[in-house]
Amino acid sequence: MSIALFLSVFLIAACGLIYELIAGTLASYLLGDTVFQFSTIIGCYLFAMGIGSYLSRFLHRGLVARFVSIELMVGVVGGFSSSLLFLAFAYTEAFRLVLYVVVILVGTLVGLEIPLLMRILKERFQFRELVSHVLTFDYLGALGASLLFPILLVPKLGLVRSALVFGIFNAGVALWSTYLFREQIGRSRYLRAGCFVVMALLGAGTVFADRISSAADNSLYADQVIFSRTTPYQRIVLTKWKDDLRLFLNSHLQFSSRDEYRYHEALVHPGLAALPGAHQVLVMGGGDGLAVREILKYPSVERITLVDLDPEMTHLFSTHPVMSALNQHSLTDARVHVINADAFRWLDTNTEQYDFIVADFPDPTSYALGKLFTTAFYRLAAKHLASGGLMVVQSTSPLFARQSYWCIVESVKQAGLRVYPYHVYVPSFGEWGYVIGSFAPYEPPRQLPSGLRFLSTANVRELFVFPVDMQPVPAEPNRLNDQVLVRYYEQEWKDVAH
Amino acid sequence: MEGRRALVISRRQFVAAPALIGLWRKTDRKITGSFVNDSFPLGHKLRDRSAFSAPAQQLRVPIVIVGGGMAGLSAAWHLDKRGFRDFVLLEMEQQAGGNSRWGENEVSRFPWAAHYVPVPAKGESLARELFEELGVLRDGKWDERVLCFDPQERLFINGHWQEGIEPEDGATPRDRAQYRRFMERIGEFRATGQFTVPMEKGAKPSVLDRISMTDWLSQQGFDSAPLRWYINYACRDDYGAPAKDTSAWAGIQYFASREPEEKGPLTWPEGNGWIAARLIEKLRGYLRTGGVVYGVVRDGNKIRVLTERTQYVADAAIWAAPTFLASYVIEGAPRAEEFQYSPWMTANLTLDRIPDQKNAEPAWDNVIYDSPALGYVNATHMSLATHVDRTVWTYYWSLAEYTPEAARRLLLARDWNYWKEAILNDLARAHPDIRQCVGHIDIMRIGHAMARPSPAFLFSAARERWLRPQGNIFFANSDLSGFSIFEEAQYRGVEAAKGALRVVGGA
Repeated sequence: MSIALFLSVFLIAACGLIYELIAGTLASYLLGDTVFQFSTIIGCYLFAMGIGSYLSRFLHRGLVARFVSIELMVGVVGGFSSSLLFLAFAYTEAFRLVLYVVVILVGTLVGLEIPLLMRILKERFQFRELVSHVLTFDYLGALGASLLFPILLVPKLGLVRSALVFGIFNAGVALWSTYLFREQIGRSRYLRAGCFVVMALLGAGTVFADRISSAADNSLYADQVIFSRTTPYQRIVLTKWKDDLRLFLNSHLQFSSRDEYRYHEALVHPGLAALPGAHQVLVMGGGDGLAVREILKYPSVERITLVDLDPEMTHLFSTHPVMSALNQHSLTDARVHVINADAFRWLDTNTEQYDFIVADFPDPTSYALGKLFTTAFYRLAAKHLASGGLMVVQSTSPLFARQSYWCIVESVKQAGLRVYPYHVYVPSFGEWGYVIGSFAPYEPPRQLPSGLRFLSTANVRELFVFPVDMQPVPAEPNRLNDQVLVRYYEQEWKDVAH
Repeated sequence: MEGRRALVISRRQFVAAPALIGLWRKTDRKITGSFVNDSFPLGHKLRDRSAFSAPAQQLRVPIVIVGGGMAGLSAAWHLDKRGFRDFVLLEMEQQAGGNSRWGENEVSRFPWAAHYVPVPAKGESLARELFEELGVLRDGKWDERVLCFDPQERLFINGHWQEGIEPEDGATPRDRAQYRRFMERIGEFRATGQFTVPMEKGAKPSVLDRISMTDWLSQQGFDSAPLRWYINYACRDDYGAPAKDTSAWAGIQYFASREPEEKGPLTWPEGNGWIAARLIEKLRGYLRTGGVVYGVVRDGNKIRVLTERTQYVADAAIWAAPTFLASYVIEGAPRAEEFQYSPWMTANLTLDRIPDQKNAEPAWDNVIYDSPALGYVNATHMSLATHVDRTVWTYYWSLAEYTPEAARRLLLARDWNYWKEAILNDLARAHPDIRQCVGHIDIMRIGHAMARPSPAFLFSAARERWLRPQGNIFFANSDLSGFSIFEEAQYRGVEAAKGALRVVGGA
């Protein structure tokens, strides 16, 4: 009997500490400034426990029933604390408020637990023994929890699930207490039913924990999330901080509005300005309409075909006021035809020829995306290229992923095209690379459209000069049956990240 | 040998599992499907010499090819190429193709059995000739759209997917040393020039054929569990037999006969059905489907080939159907009892969504370590698309853990629901959400799917005698090579066609 009692103390102490650790970890994870977060959270939590201890004096009758109810409340509030905090961060402005309310609420309830339990037990033990035992197990529980938390819980269960699991422990202690102290409570049936309801609720929570974390995953973005949607193809997230608008696809940054002009001017103008008679243009990828915005600066262009996989993406950039302002309503221009299709397949069934082709795909982070960077793809694209035309390919960073970059250049070359590699510095990306492919020799343009913010006839030639640390390295071409690029890319970005 | 013991246990659990789980697990989704293309009824009708109605008409045709699988199609291909047009190709099923049959639904085309051809090496002139004709090989370069896309293979082991099916995850330095030594031994065998495709070109009687692959591995001191799993998998996959029932010569042939010049294999959404369909298209004029040949009778120097519609009177016949059927149909033919065949179960699963991949990417061939089945091939893998919502998986199970007879009995005894549960329970090891993804499962049972190269069969007199024509009847099935692969079928078919041409003087 006494062992069982003190085991309960051990468990509730562990639960209490876990909620505190979760709040601290989550706050430092989401807000940064670990020292500040942990200090304020531990302070508030201990203070709230003091409030709880103080409030315990006002509870008189039915102590066991009250203890059980408090356990259940701790279970629910503590158990769902991390889910609530994640969602609050993702969807509200009031994360800090929710954070401290949760911390104080859990702290207060936890503060009530031990005093109440000691009063319940005071008839069974001598006071000297009672204090010694309860506090011993209280501290032991804290030790267990603080060791378990970093070693097992965070890596294996994650924050959302850990909280839920410990909530179930609280409810378990509550249920157990209805049996341990059965002679001291009257209507235990309702309390037991309550225990089961809470356990079921938390159990269901653990099943859906993954959805909760993914629903909250835009909390990973540093800035305020102004739009987020999971489409069948990708997760689109837009963030805004002051005047900086950023687009993320599957957590990969696609552009920052502060410097995207550098990226998009460099993508379009070195090629298109060198083709004075270009009428037909094809853009693959680039559903943000920013490349199209640049192409529309050429009066000679009669028709722009934009092929992007995701209708949500092109819809967003056609209709959203902030987005369409950024691309200057390019996607609703009469010369632009938007097609939502898988680019490789679409190109395979299409027979048209284009003067200028832009391949602006996300980086080859998977074998699926890597297909769009293969010799087979470039060979097919070359079939759609008019004899005097040019193709330009977004080719990842020649600095961070040097072999990947030169692998893409080699793949375009293997498709039977002359290659003209160049690069540009985009602050939010770093050094970024492109390659122009053509049948005929290519010369950088001597004239550019007016109103460009980055490119000039003076600097366009410099883009084709590679400093020593970005110069060619040997690389195999990327082929459908041997996608070396995906492996180069994974290795090189792993090295950068570490 | 720990690996094999683990296999035995998991097999027992596997077979018991559908029944146990069926008791309490409610089906998450309604899954439709049935047995399809069952070969048992016609086969049994032939075996039992049931009454067939006499043909109504008689036709004089110099050459008759019986069996529209890859061997028969290849024989026809050769005749047609040589400008010989006076022949028919008889297929008992409605669809020709045999083991290269394929299907199609609203999601994809998919194979029913053979699903790839290793990239033919420079010396494999026959296969290269065909692929040049089909536009797959041009100026010595393979069409990159039919070379299996990356990633080709993956293995589910220790709770996650690894690239490639040689078990790497958890392999010790000792295992790796044995892999290396095994591949060295294979290199030595390759250098002898005796392990060729087709096998007839290089094969010489060998003591290796007298022992099993397992015994050879033991003799050589190969005891690494993952290595033995891998080799056993190869035998089950290519021969439908476990390594302990496979001739060591054949086991070595699997590894030593190939030295591809290009990362492959060649594959298509419908597997080798793509090749069959092209051949059928070319040879449509000669093909007669849906009529079973129930008798081949010698009449003087003529051969009467009997179907229920027509009696063909020929100068030469090519028997491209499985050799074991010959004794039921060809008058006076001896029993081909020495030929053993592995039965197979293949299933095509239509997935309405792709199971959660946990950061792994689906490969073309997906294998589960220690599963009694062979894994599944993804029909949409050869799609150019970067994103697919639905797909078809072809799931293979060679039932190699049973004797062929026991496996055939099991195939017939159990209903569709039993196999459905067995398949889903097996796949659930790697894909816990599989039941939420699959909408339809069609299952094909093949009683005599592949020839088994059992020890002491390949260089036996029994096999030798079937290599020679019986009168003007030439034998062409791939089982004459002791194992059923595309190149053997093609070679045997063409060789038989050459023999028949000599008879009719059209060579």
